[in-house]
Amino acid sequence: MAEVKLADYPRRSFVHRKLEAAGASFVALGDAAIAADFGDPAAEAAMASQLGLADLSVVARCGFKGAGTADWLAGQGRRLPEESNRALRQEDASLIARLSPDEALILAPLERGETGLAALDEAWLAGREAGQGPQGYPLPRRDSHAWFRLTGEKWPGTLAKLCAVDLQPAKFPDGAVAQTVAARVGVILVRDDIGDLLAFHLLVDSASAAYLWDCLLDAMAEFGGRPVGLSALKSLA
Amino acid sequence: MTAQPNRLPPPFGLLIDRDRRVSFTFEGRRYEGFEGDSIASALAAGGQWVLSRSFKYHRPRGIMSLAGHDANALVQLPGEPNVPADLAPISEGLTVRAQNVSGSLRFDRDAWVGAFARFLPVGFYYRAFYRPVGAWQRFWEPVFRRKAGLGAVDPAARPADFDKAYGFCDVAVVGGGPAGLSAALAAASQGAEVCLIEQAPLLGGALTYARLDLQGHAAAEARRALLGELAAASGITAMTSALCNGWFADNYLPVLRGNRMIKLRAEELVLATGEIEQPAIFRNNDLPGVMLGSAAQRLIRLYGVRPGARAVVLAGNPDGYGVALDLLDAGAEVVAVVDPRPAGDASRLAAAVAAKGVKVLTGRMIAEARPGRGGRRVAGVRLAELSPEAAGRPAERFDCDLVCVSAGALPAYHLALQAGARLAAEGAEERLRITGLPERVRLAGGVAGAHALDEAITQGWNAGWAAAGGDDTAAAQPHVQVRDDRSGLDVAAPCPLPTAPLGKDFVDFDEDLQVADLVNAVAEGYDEIELVKRFSTVGMGPSQGRHAALNTARIVARATGRDLAAVGVTTARPPVMPERLGLLAGRGFEPDRLTPMHHRHLEAGAQMMTAGLWWRPAYYGPESERQACIEAEVRAVREAAGLIDVSTLGGLEVRGPDAAEFVERLYTFGYRKQAVGRCRYLLMANEAGSIIDDGVACRFAEDHFYLTATTGGVDRVYRTMLWWNAQWRLEVDVANVTAAYAGVNLAGPRSRDLLAGLVEGIDLSPRGFPYMGLREGYVAGIPARVLRVGFVGELGYEIHVPASYGQALWDRLLAAGGDAGPRPFGVEAQRVLRLEKGHLIVGQDSDAMTTPEEAQLAWAVAGKKAFFVGQRSLALRARHPSKRRLVGFALPPDAPLPQESQLVVRDGEMVGFVTSVVRSPTLGQTIGLAYTAADAAEPGAGITIRLTDGGLVRGQVVTLPFYDPKNQRQEG
Repeated sequence: MAEVKLADYPRRSFVHRKLEAAGASFVALGDAAIAADFGDPAAEAAMASQLGLADLSVVARCGFKGAGTADWLAGQGRRLPEESNRALRQEDASLIARLSPDEALILAPLERGETGLAALDEAWLAGREAGQGPQGYPLPRRDSHAWFRLTGEKWPGTLAKLCAVDLQPAKFPDGAVAQTVAARVGVILVRDDIGDLLAFHLLVDSASAAYLWDCLLDAMAEFGGRPVGLSALKSLA
Repeated sequence: MTAQPNRLPPPFGLLIDRDRRVSFTFEGRRYEGFEGDSIASALAAGGQWVLSRSFKYHRPRGIMSLAGHDANALVQLPGEPNVPADLAPISEGLTVRAQNVSGSLRFDRDAWVGAFARFLPVGFYYRAFYRPVGAWQRFWEPVFRRKAGLGAVDPAARPADFDKAYGFCDVAVVGGGPAGLSAALAAASQGAEVCLIEQAPLLGGALTYARLDLQGHAAAEARRALLGELAAASGITAMTSALCNGWFADNYLPVLRGNRMIKLRAEELVLATGEIEQPAIFRNNDLPGVMLGSAAQRLIRLYGVRPGARAVVLAGNPDGYGVALDLLDAGAEVVAVVDPRPAGDASRLAAAVAAKGVKVLTGRMIAEARPGRGGRRVAGVRLAELSPEAAGRPAERFDCDLVCVSAGALPAYHLALQAGARLAAEGAEERLRITGLPERVRLAGGVAGAHALDEAITQGWNAGWAAAGGDDTAAAQPHVQVRDDRSGLDVAAPCPLPTAPLGKDFVDFDEDLQVADLVNAVAEGYDEIELVKRFSTVGMGPSQGRHAALNTARIVARATGRDLAAVGVTTARPPVMPERLGLLAGRGFEPDRLTPMHHRHLEAGAQMMTAGLWWRPAYYGPESERQACIEAEVRAVREAAGLIDVSTLGGLEVRGPDAAEFVERLYTFGYRKQAVGRCRYLLMANEAGSIIDDGVACRFAEDHFYLTATTGGVDRVYRTMLWWNAQWRLEVDVANVTAAYAGVNLAGPRSRDLLAGLVEGIDLSPRGFPYMGLREGYVAGIPARVLRVGFVGELGYEIHVPASYGQALWDRLLAAGGDAGPRPFGVEAQRVLRLEKGHLIVGQDSDAMTTPEEAQLAWAVAGKKAFFVGQRSLALRARHPSKRRLVGFALPPDAPLPQESQLVVRDGEMVGFVTSVVRSPTLGQTIGLAYTAADAAEPGAGITIRLTDGGLVRGQVVTLPFYDPKNQRQEG
């Protein structure tokens, strides 16, 4: 992957200043640049299995909410979890977290970019123009929320300093979703392991992203955790 | 550097590492200890026995419990007062000072107070210092304030880092002694996740220091066996140096560990908190060198320190004989064992003591401890016969430098009682046990009255097994086999309560309370235990009655002729032990919100201000040039173009077939007929008809509105919408997309020209994009929603783009036009601009009672609508017309500038107040908004404002807006 200049990309992560300050080098991913590493990919790869924090804010994601959402998504070939606050991997490797009976958050796979999600948006628009029945409404999840990837076994103990939900592996199984508060800001936490490695997605109000990024780093310091880049994440897969 | 004359050789000293020497100072003198030593143990090793001076009489005090249970051992560290010296470890270079010292620890200037103790009974200050009137406040209170308190807070101390963490487990076991270890093992054997919480640095509880058998090996063997099982078990998180400092509903337990408070949520709780050894009552029972038997054993076994050279042991139970054997093993001379029981002790330990030639005196009690020179250490004891027949015999006296008291124990009841249990008296003797435990809380070990080791282990196992949901009948016995030579152990049996006519027989060491103080309190009529506490302050000190509660109850029972159960103990409340305020504060979480352009503002030299959680640029430039910066920004907007970050404005998507109906009901204006592609002013009232928010409604489709709201109000507006639609059940979906959109307002006569080169898909011509028009397209290559609105009164465009493009939009707009591009302006300039245009800011120019009519916004209320929130209240309020109006006013050029909130007066009476006021750079005069009397609100009427200094400023009510009254600039 060729290194790119952040300045060439108008779409920015909500913590791009933090990434730059931490010495990130960037590579292109879809229509934006993502941190590839912070100068020591090997150390980051090692830390990612313990306590890694990666920023995926520029990676595609979308959401739908409102009457008809669940049925419409099913009609689009998406499999929704049976219950709210559960997440389910899709055939195209995206992940759907069901936040309520008629609200879904869809996270694009890191490898595939936004292809599948753009098709969903188009299908929604086409359905609307065709005057189809209730099909929910799209939510600007890529801009309303920052997206962090938390990898490693030490995250339950680290997040215990910020969040009142029991995230121990035995109590918060793979695919579990918590819509809760961490460090006094609202977050969506999704457990989504990478193979056998414990891992979470954390989505937070984009305007509070820099604040929470610092809180996470502060909590991680006790265990030696650090920001990791795309290279480290890919090494886990 | 002092030597360590009292240090014992190995194997004594379980906690210390003799290879690591540590030096520190106490009261300016250097001492040496080993890593693992507490401050108190290292001082004892060095021969320093006085640790502090007592609270009231400034008596020298030393080691009492060596368990952090008493206030004697509280010392001052740099930056931290009231540190228990018997728990706090030494560290290289540590500076330790004694507390409550007047002059020096050795020669305390206030020690004379003790000589006058009989003139200073409990409560003397209540009735001595209230006359003459004012004397208390002016003289006595400052005197007592100076004398009160123990340690000193150092305001210059560097704050330490504290934090909190949440914890979860199936079974929490408090107490890592034999019962607690056994409970944890049993619970874990059932598959439970267990948290084992132990206050000491080592697991094992009494097994780390107590003597169970003749050889003195059984405790260590039992501990090794239990720890071996613990190491092999899974699912147990053992936390040492961790204090469970309270019980809250549903087994919510604050566990203090270092600088962290763990908020532990336990499904089930086993309390294995053990017992608290109790002091005996005799004259001078507080002298340094008089300590609990368990404290002496802790010194010997944990720290390898000999507690004295010549000892007298008060043995009310077999443990006292164990103490005597330990002292002998440590090379001390035991000059006598005093056993109050007429028949003495039948245990093998007692027999061993006698076999070693130690004098055992039964049926006697220590009547008095005699101080040595300077009163800084015990030098001997005088005994008293307990049986009436022997009362005439001459008193026996012994010289000694150590008195060990093993005179009974009290269940460590605090957590159990906080959980709702009660203390009940048992049997004819004065012993207390815990009853009435709530569900999901169990007891095991000493706290439950199990004194023998095998009984404690079995009880712990059963409690842990049951807590983990195990079937009672299937509970396997623990594997640990123990020898316990303390047959007939009854440590709860209390010592006699002799009276000491000369006093100094302390019950509460924290507060220097003597037996007579409590007896007098009862005599005064405070005969209930809670009243005795409040009058005498017994149990209110740092040790919270751990050593005073039982003896106080016994004294009150004796004085009132009641039994112990009827008297009881005072209510147990958290915290169990004193805790540092830093632990309560934890780490401060102060969320803030940044717009995508935040750092651009900083780079441009903006002075930032907060708006709710958001940071916004107030103005750009140095603070010293504030006014000039603001005026330059205003001029730029009026004369050319300015750019302001409005990303903080609320944004709400309202979508669905009933969207128009929903907006119609929530806001005062009419929206049903609002055309697609148009904007309309939004005004929201609450159910009382008062204005609570405003904004702009953008209609993108018949079934889609995008509503803006004020920065500070959007969350409330969103909640209000959800609350109402939970009742209305309209087919509409509401989404708060505030953070998802970055927004800017490009305003000024040149804004159209600047934008022209950047837009795609939008016709910017006045006809193609008229005032209050709404368009979607691209601005600088970024997908955008563009609103032609005019808050600042100029031609302007509010541009909303996805937040992740916010910084790029800002950069590209500023770059438009090259050097003649727009100038960034901040909130301060915007306030001036909007005021010149006569626009109100909800919350600044409105208050909790402002109606649309008062604010001259009646035009924004659709009178013919069937319903909107606040409509009925407005109709009712209209029957009693408001006496005030919000008006624009102008002042003469030479008038002083009033401030916001200053009063508008008429004939000396308040009729309103100023809400906004500025010197308008555009108009060259002072203008503002103010509430004034409704009958004086017509343009041309006079308005009088009272300044802070009482001076009056007179001006005139004027027609709004002040600027561009025909709206030609913003609508052009």
